[in-house]
Amino acid sequence: MANGHAAAVRTLSPKQQEARLGWYLVAPAIIIIGGLIIYPIVYNVYLSFFDVSLSGDNTFTGLRNHVRVVSDPRFWNAVWTTVIYVTFSVMGTVVVGVVVALAMNREFPLRWLVRSIILLPYVAPVIATVFAWQFFFDPVNGLFVHVLVEVLGVVANRFNLIGNPRTAVIVAIVFSIWKNFPFAYLMILSRLQAVDETLYEAAELDGCNAWAKFRYVTLPELYFILGSLVLLRVIWNFNKFEEVYLITDNVRVLSIYTYLTAFTGALDLGRGATLAVIQFILLMGFILYYVKRVLKW
Amino acid sequence: MVVRRRNPLRSVGFLVLILIIVIFSLFPFVQMLSTSLKYPRDWGNPSLIPERINTSAYKELLGIGLPEPDLNAIPESVRNLLEESDLSDEQRQQILARYVDTGDIFPFPRYFRNSVVLSGIAALLSVSVAIFGAYSFSRLEYRGRGYVQRGVLLVYMFGGILLLIPLYKVAVGIGLLSTPTGTFVALLVVYMVQTLPVSLYMLGNYFRTIPFSIEEAALIDGLDRLQTIRRIIIPLSTGAIATVYIYSFMIAWNEYLFASVFLKSFQEIYTLPLGLRALFTSKNAIWDRIMSASMLTSVPVIVMFMAVQKRLVGGLSAGGVKE
Repeated sequence: MANGHAAAVRTLSPKQQEARLGWYLVAPAIIIIGGLIIYPIVYNVYLSFFDVSLSGDNTFTGLRNHVRVVSDPRFWNAVWTTVIYVTFSVMGTVVVGVVVALAMNREFPLRWLVRSIILLPYVAPVIATVFAWQFFFDPVNGLFVHVLVEVLGVVANRFNLIGNPRTAVIVAIVFSIWKNFPFAYLMILSRLQAVDETLYEAAELDGCNAWAKFRYVTLPELYFILGSLVLLRVIWNFNKFEEVYLITDNVRVLSIYTYLTAFTGALDLGRGATLAVIQFILLMGFILYYVKRVLKW
Repeated sequence: MVVRRRNPLRSVGFLVLILIIVIFSLFPFVQMLSTSLKYPRDWGNPSLIPERINTSAYKELLGIGLPEPDLNAIPESVRNLLEESDLSDEQRQQILARYVDTGDIFPFPRYFRNSVVLSGIAALLSVSVAIFGAYSFSRLEYRGRGYVQRGVLLVYMFGGILLLIPLYKVAVGIGLLSTPTGTFVALLVVYMVQTLPVSLYMLGNYFRTIPFSIEEAALIDGLDRLQTIRRIIIPLSTGAIATVYIYSFMIAWNEYLFASVFLKSFQEIYTLPLGLRALFTSKNAIWDRIMSASMLTSVPVIVMFMAVQKRLVGGLSAGGVKE
């Protein structure tokens, strides 16, 4: 280190020196996050008040974008689709996560192998796994339709689950559950392993059966982790783009609607920015409500 | 420990449950592998085990050998037609040509290289910045540290779509997106910043587990803080750093949203997710190619994940996750 700098440092107490170094070391991260996350969010809000042009100047339009967005039935349709998608995908993910975590908490042969196999859905790229699911639901070649129509005979005619906008959301939900249950399972399992074994012994002495033990011991112990899990998954699934868009373009959740509005046809970045802001406000509203009511913070 | 009554029926039920879980997790991968190895005429056959193995899609993607007319791909009825009926040579060639790949060859190796370079550099930048930031969080005392730390966590809450429009507008505004190099740099910066919060968080958690006494000894010996980071903290954390690097790499490798908007005018710098999507929506969308491209895209991240699985799972359970 340069002598001049050392001389300047000498006048500071060790505590001040440490604080100064602390800020120096974290400064690059703060500058990057500030410049590339915080600033863009603020800029996004600013853009929502303009008719944005990529080449020339933006024209200030006040609340016109906002009014246009909320008076468009497609927006409300997207809100509704998002609510359905988020509700069922989160519920499914948590339920599957609980079942898998309970199973993996018991000893069985090759458990180490199974535990790593079930993480693969979470790790593999979305773009690579969507095609296998599309093939599975494919009306001509897919196993799903084959089993329903040819093997079980429950349905008379072959049908296109992904191609039909009314049913495509089911595929998106199934895919989301498959993709994200490993995350839920990991969080729940780590909590399960911390549950005091004596609680179960006491419940057993009281004559509880397996269900009663789950209901009165396991579930209360999991309450907080499930609450946090639901919160995280709602936030993430609400903002999710790739996991929906890549498996089917028939499900217009908010992020897809925003993307299509902003970047296809005549680019409308101003209206896109408005949609992103509204989406964020809706999410924040939910978070505040949830944290107060469910997590009781 | 309570002695549990063993009920054979229940044990069987439990094993069935495990089997269902494994099938549910693995099925899409099996489907992917199976279809990637099937001949087109076998796609309608629901069996997951291909009757005949067709590796031509892999060969084509990896650029091994030249595409040739594939006799096995021709349905028997058409083959009979070719052999028996008195078609002119020209007509025969036309029919055959339908079963030869006429589309331009999907430049898989190039997209693969683009993805490796982009993800590799973005993860490196992210981890380098995060090492110092995380050290500051976990080891140094100063006012405002808590706010900075919580601020970083808050960043998890913002979805990509909220950042996409302003970042795109800024990138266009400063002219980055008008050249391939500029576009590449823009995306690199986006990927670095996307993985930075999670890198900071995971590394910070790890550094807290290193006993301070080791560092203290070095400080007493006259090393300054930066030297202890270089000589003590980094060598003691190579495993954790590698894990965070791989996790950041995977996030960038899998990213589609920003790539689709930033790279759209430069096909030569497409990443794998964008390339696969383009292949799927093109008229050359053939299941065996798509599935083998999917396999080849998944394998690197799965291998990397397996290498650091133990540590990464610990980190994920502790909340170090980015989505």
